[in-house]
Amino acid sequence: MSLKSKIIFLVCFVGLGIALNFFLNSYIQALAISFMINSIMAMSLNFITGVANQFSLGSAGFVAVGAYTSAVLTKEVFNDQWYFIPLTALIGACVAAFAGYLVSLPSFKLKGDYLAIVTLGFAEIVRVIFLNWNHVGGPRGYNAIVKWPNFTMAYLFTGAAVLITLYVLYSLKISWFGRNLWALNEDEIAAEVMGTPIAKNKRTAFLISSFFGGLAGGFYAHNMGYISPGSFGFLLSVQVLIITVLGGLGSISGSIIASIILTVLPELLRSLPTKVDVRMIVFPILLILMMIVRPEGLFGKKEIWTFFKKEGGS
Amino acid sequence: MIKSILSLKNVNLSFGGIKAVQDVSFEIHENELLGLIGPNGAGKTTVFNIISGFYKADTGSIDLGDVCLLKLAPDQVNKVGIARTFQNIRLFGNLSVVENVIFALQQKIDHSWFHSLFRTKKYLDIEATLRTRALSLLKIFSLDQLADTPSKSLPYGLQRKLEIVRALASDPKLLILDEPAAGMNHSETEDLKKLIQFIKTEFKLTVLLIEHDMKLVMNICDRIVVLNRGEKIAEGIPAEIKANKQVIEAYLGKRS
Repeated sequence: MSLKSKIIFLVCFVGLGIALNFFLNSYIQALAISFMINSIMAMSLNFITGVANQFSLGSAGFVAVGAYTSAVLTKEVFNDQWYFIPLTALIGACVAAFAGYLVSLPSFKLKGDYLAIVTLGFAEIVRVIFLNWNHVGGPRGYNAIVKWPNFTMAYLFTGAAVLITLYVLYSLKISWFGRNLWALNEDEIAAEVMGTPIAKNKRTAFLISSFFGGLAGGFYAHNMGYISPGSFGFLLSVQVLIITVLGGLGSISGSIIASIILTVLPELLRSLPTKVDVRMIVFPILLILMMIVRPEGLFGKKEIWTFFKKEGGS
Repeated sequence: MIKSILSLKNVNLSFGGIKAVQDVSFEIHENELLGLIGPNGAGKTTVFNIISGFYKADTGSIDLGDVCLLKLAPDQVNKVGIARTFQNIRLFGNLSVVENVIFALQQKIDHSWFHSLFRTKKYLDIEATLRTRALSLLKIFSLDQLADTPSKSLPYGLQRKLEIVRALASDPKLLILDEPAAGMNHSETEDLKKLIQFIKTEFKLTVLLIEHDMKLVMNICDRIVVLNRGEKIAEGIPAEIKANKQVIEAYLGKRS
């Protein structure tokens, strides 16, 4: 991207934030922010499950670690000042990354279902710890977390986080590290024989993925203003996994599109003019159809812009 | 004096009660083509796996020059200069031909996270050099036309070739080929024979070859080591091996 297009993009990005503040009602604004947070979670999972082929069911655990760290820090260290939110979210991300590293230590030899069980177990452990930790509210949850002052700020910072996540994970995906991970993904034994330390690569992938999981957690906490162990149950992990699979395992930008769809679709279905709530029926049917028609997800392993390039020829 | 590059001394390995490798010792001399043969289940592949670090020998020693290989993991074995191919081809199927080679090349480079994250000029330069080097290597083996096809869509013979090229890309001192002629027809085997000889002279490599195709082995090997039931039963130049009673017995059984 040239400098000029970068500036135009930045102006549009900021301008949109200010404009949307006036034009959208608060319901849609909340939806927009929650879509952004979902997409960070999905991209983080996509890196470990899509690119590195390590099936993880523990995203909720990393998100919870990030969310609690960030929430507690703003309240107890930074006196509820909203402008410290990016900093605390970053610290939360680092703590989550450390947690991810710890999980990867005993589990780098595991694959597929077995790794999924370990990560699932980790997420449950995290949830139960917070459930029994009275200092952070225990089952009552952690209340009155400082929120963004207005939509523009929330939009700008969360949006920036989405863009940074996309940029970092995409650059890593197409870099030498990504190539190592693809090779591991294809044939572990051959990759090892060619001189790649498998365990080290997997650990690093885990570290990076859980960092962004934690980052999403921080933004989640400050968007909601309230977190409880119940928000980080198995369902959250599954929801993130669904987004990732729909977007295409291995397509980082696909996760963003998929999280738009999966955030907006349930809300649209809510307004269907039926007496019973058909939302919970239509939604799974759509997913099943999707898996039958296009099992590799919307974009497979490709990124969105590769499709445009082919058509436009630029 | 002949310099030995890899030496195995009294290597033993047992799986439970089965002695897969017993007291095997042999040396590979610099720039020679050593064949390792034996009937099915003789322990050839086990010896390979011990050398490349997948199995740990119970006792004995393996040295490459003055580096002891016994305690090294497979990726470290590659770093000290041993590359291998597999009996059943193990390419990275969805990666393109050139990427397979780049992958091998990039293991020798210290990458910086900073540069790759910000896609600096230095990083892009490194990527470009890797690609040119990979392409020039592919060109030697006339695979450069196919550089961007996924490697899984290559025909069998070319996949074999690519696997050897990928092994060469990691710049080894010793190249180990595990049954490269398996599943090949006569003309493909002829090509392979030329390829191996070409590699050996052009890249000044030492090659260890496991093979079932006796014609190929007897034709191109400088020396041959024969294993049977985990033990070394003979070692020598092809003519000696052909005449060796024990070898004939191992392959054909005793005359009753």
